[in-house]
Amino acid sequence: MDLIGNLAHGFAVAFSLQNLLFALIGALIGTAIGVLPGIGPVATISLLLPITFGQPATTAIIMLAGIYYGAQYGGSTTAILLNLPGEISSVVTTLEGYKMARNGRAGAALATSALGSFFAGTVATVVVAASGPLLTSIALSFGPADYFSLMLLGLIISAVLAQGSVLKSVAMVVLGVALGLVGTDVQTGQQRFTFGIPELSDGIGFVSVAMGMFGIAEIILNLERPEAREVLKTEVGSLFLTKEEWKRATPSVLRGTLVGSVLGILPGGGASLASFGAYMMERKISKGRHLFGQGAIEGVAGPEAANNAAAQTSFIPLLTLGIPANAVMALMVGALIIQGIQPGPRMVEAQPDLFWGLIASMWIGNVMLLVINLPMIGMWVKLLQVPYKFLYPSILVFCCIGVYSLNNNVFDVYMTVLFAIFGYMCNKLKMEPAPLLIGFVLGPMMEEHLRRAMLLSRGDVMVFLQRPISASMLAIGAIALLAMMLPNLRKGKEAALSG
Amino acid sequence: MKINAKDVASGVFLILLAAVGLWLNADHALGTARRMGPGYMPMLVFWIQLGLGALVLVLGLFNGPDPLERWTGIDAGMLVVSVAVGTVVWQIAPMFGEFFTGTYNAIGLGMLAGFLVICVSKGWRLLGFICAAMCIFGLLLEKGGLMLALTATIIISAMAEPQHRRQPLGVLGLLVFLLALCWWIFIKQLDIRVAVWPMQY
Amino acid sequence: MSGTLPRRALVAGGAAFAALPLVARAQSWPSQPIRLVVPYAPGGTTDLTARLVAAGLAARLGQPVLVDNRPGAGATLASAQVAAAVPDGLTLLMSNIASHAIAPALYRSLRYDAVRDFTHVALVVENPSVFAANSRFAPEGLPQVVELSHRTAEGIDIASSGSGSSNHLLIVQFAEATGARVHHIPYRGAGPAMTDVIAGVVPMMSDSLPSAVGHIRAGSVRAVAMSSTKRHPAFPEVPTFREQGIDLVSTSWFGISGPAGLPPAIVERLAMAVASVLAEPATAARFAELGGTVRMMSPGAYNEFVMAEVARWAPIVAASGAQVD
Repeated sequence: MDLIGNLAHGFAVAFSLQNLLFALIGALIGTAIGVLPGIGPVATISLLLPITFGQPATTAIIMLAGIYYGAQYGGSTTAILLNLPGEISSVVTTLEGYKMARNGRAGAALATSALGSFFAGTVATVVVAASGPLLTSIALSFGPADYFSLMLLGLIISAVLAQGSVLKSVAMVVLGVALGLVGTDVQTGQQRFTFGIPELSDGIGFVSVAMGMFGIAEIILNLERPEAREVLKTEVGSLFLTKEEWKRATPSVLRGTLVGSVLGILPGGGASLASFGAYMMERKISKGRHLFGQGAIEGVAGPEAANNAAAQTSFIPLLTLGIPANAVMALMVGALIIQGIQPGPRMVEAQPDLFWGLIASMWIGNVMLLVINLPMIGMWVKLLQVPYKFLYPSILVFCCIGVYSLNNNVFDVYMTVLFAIFGYMCNKLKMEPAPLLIGFVLGPMMEEHLRRAMLLSRGDVMVFLQRPISASMLAIGAIALLAMMLPNLRKGKEAALSG
Repeated sequence: MKINAKDVASGVFLILLAAVGLWLNADHALGTARRMGPGYMPMLVFWIQLGLGALVLVLGLFNGPDPLERWTGIDAGMLVVSVAVGTVVWQIAPMFGEFFTGTYNAIGLGMLAGFLVICVSKGWRLLGFICAAMCIFGLLLEKGGLMLALTATIIISAMAEPQHRRQPLGVLGLLVFLLALCWWIFIKQLDIRVAVWPMQY
Repeated sequence: MSGTLPRRALVAGGAAFAALPLVARAQSWPSQPIRLVVPYAPGGTTDLTARLVAAGLAARLGQPVLVDNRPGAGATLASAQVAAAVPDGLTLLMSNIASHAIAPALYRSLRYDAVRDFTHVALVVENPSVFAANSRFAPEGLPQVVELSHRTAEGIDIASSGSGSSNHLLIVQFAEATGARVHHIPYRGAGPAMTDVIAGVVPMMSDSLPSAVGHIRAGSVRAVAMSSTKRHPAFPEVPTFREQGIDLVSTSWFGISGPAGLPPAIVERLAMAVASVLAEPATAARFAELGGTVRMMSPGAYNEFVMAEVARWAPIVAASGAQVD
């Protein structure tokens, strides 16, 4: 069968009343849980897993996939409105999105996020359908050395995330890497910096760090400056994008889609780089780069598109290799296995209904999310008009329940408190939390890939230069480093930042 | 003076943390570049952090001025007092009952006590109430159930906002609304595994 | 909620006093939903096993059996929590080889005793491990692998899902038994290791059969040897270690346990329910499809089995050099 025929078959499957209904339910649940801080798609899918036992496999997976992208959409909403990032992709969204919201452009930021995600989702779905099996070779061509160089490149250029001093932002990246060291050493199984606390043996929880440093610290800071928070309710502004904003956001969405589609394919941590890679790209090359730090729409459009594109293409390793790229995908594998289906290379032939039905429903799910989310923008913006004195206790209790439900352990609640204090301190010292989180996420992966590469090469450092992918990553990194150090370019950057 | 106090403090903080890290890392085998031990990467990371911290500190001596916010005497005093109270409460908590010999309840109680004490000073009050609200959630949730924990959290967090102290009725309304909402979302819809009422588990 | 006060009293009261309500409760057990704690994240082999058993148990006991995933610290966090729970039969654990056989030797300070702090009720399923190789990897069988390892300057790379896992320990045992020069490459979970085996970054890995099953069936990797006593019915063409002249048998196992002091009446009723679930041909077929083998054991036999496993793994862990504080 050709692609068109296959897709037609897929749409025929997905358009059954039952599958449409469950795609909608999944999208709705996903949006709802994405909006709730801390409750992520992993927790929800594991709670809903038993429900899927009674459903046909295709329906079950369509619903779970709906939850997955729905959560991505919903997560952006809290990041933009409340500075509450639930995962690494939305950390980047808070940078410009929350600033836009404070400037009274919350509606535009949410609309950009929804439209950008929809466009990227559509493109990425076509990518998965047309060339999924071919792209598998990309996933397999990345060895440990290549992943290490990719992560290193990510860390080097994350200095671009700096809103202030580049030096301090690099220091925060390194501090993040240091925090990421806590936990069990993968190679030897030894506990590092855990102080004998078993809860730390799997590392410090990302949600505790992100929620503490962003969400809770922001509550304390907002309470400290009653005058600043009132901006939130007085100037809401137009709900939709202006002509000017359309013009600025469109190229960013295109670039973000490209970045996200490629990175999403890499199962060894590519998807977590997607939104932040796109952000750095926009910050460097978009027309509105001088507006970054004050609520630039490019900084929402690019990363949101990249994030959603990566969410779609990260299905490629699952569908073609049977290898889950992240925890959500691992759950999908579980759901399929319970149904008696083994994901893997043979799935395309053995389960064409499932494979093509899922791909078609990816797109349908994106349409539904757009339909659900665009009309809700008005409601979300109204949320900002709730007096802050009522809003903040609500955010706080949702954060508490969300953090607890991650592992059903109060330890995580106390960890979040510690990171809230740390985030508050960082704000007072003008140390930025975003680069820290990037380092925190990439650091452990980088160490793992580095050590594995060295084990496999028997200690030969040349492996990083001999492999073409790795070598080109390192070359780009070196150029970026040089560019940052050259004084005239640096002056230009500073001028751009102050202007 | 051109001292950037924020940068100097950041530098000192980074250096201190790196030094502690290097000291703790002494327990871990370094290994060789070929077969890196658990201590290899931490060693690299903490030395880089130490260097960057020193750079931030030195440059901070010239690129100011950017002073820190003023601390009053009571702010500094209460910081010391609250840390002391928290530590003492944490250590003696197991004497209050079997509940506090459990995993994190003693330290939770210590943190709660410390945060409540620090609220005496004006500069720390907001931080203190918000953190105390989260701590009491952790303390009450598993034995007291979700409803009790939420009630305590909402009441303590409301104390951070002076307007609430003048209009307690608003807090009551918020409390009822949030209890109902959380029950509907987390118990009715998501069915998270947690006790709802006191002593359920 | 009704029925909560007796349990509270039980915690506070002395042993003799507490025995009374326990007996009374054992008759009506289970009066409330049962929580089956799974010490791993949802979606994995343990989780799937637990969900299959939970569905069957719920039908037989007349109460919902809720699977509660509490991952962390190599399955030891959840085990410690269940060990400290009230023995009323409402909190149960998926005990397994990692938490109840390897951890006692691996962790220097464990918060529980794998035998004394639990009432072991029933073994559920056993999974063999498999050496899975890249499809272009030349050696046919294990003797050829051993030979190749001597010809290669630095020994042969074999990946596993993590340091101290039963799959890693199988590699250690293999190297010890044959004198092969093995270079262990640990990964964070079986998925990434499998990716690198398929890609040819590492020629071979030691994996639990359930997680490798799909890749073997699809032909993306080749099974070289299985660590069970007999050939697996689903893979009759894959020889065992023993058949290839290496006396190695290693299976990972999962069972159901409760906290120490579970009333005998509850143990008996639960063990009967588990046996009845496992006796169902459909269940056995599902486990076989996943790569496992159902194995029934009486509570007493399972308890002795756990004791034997703890003793068996201690020297192997010591030989591997893995140690956790």
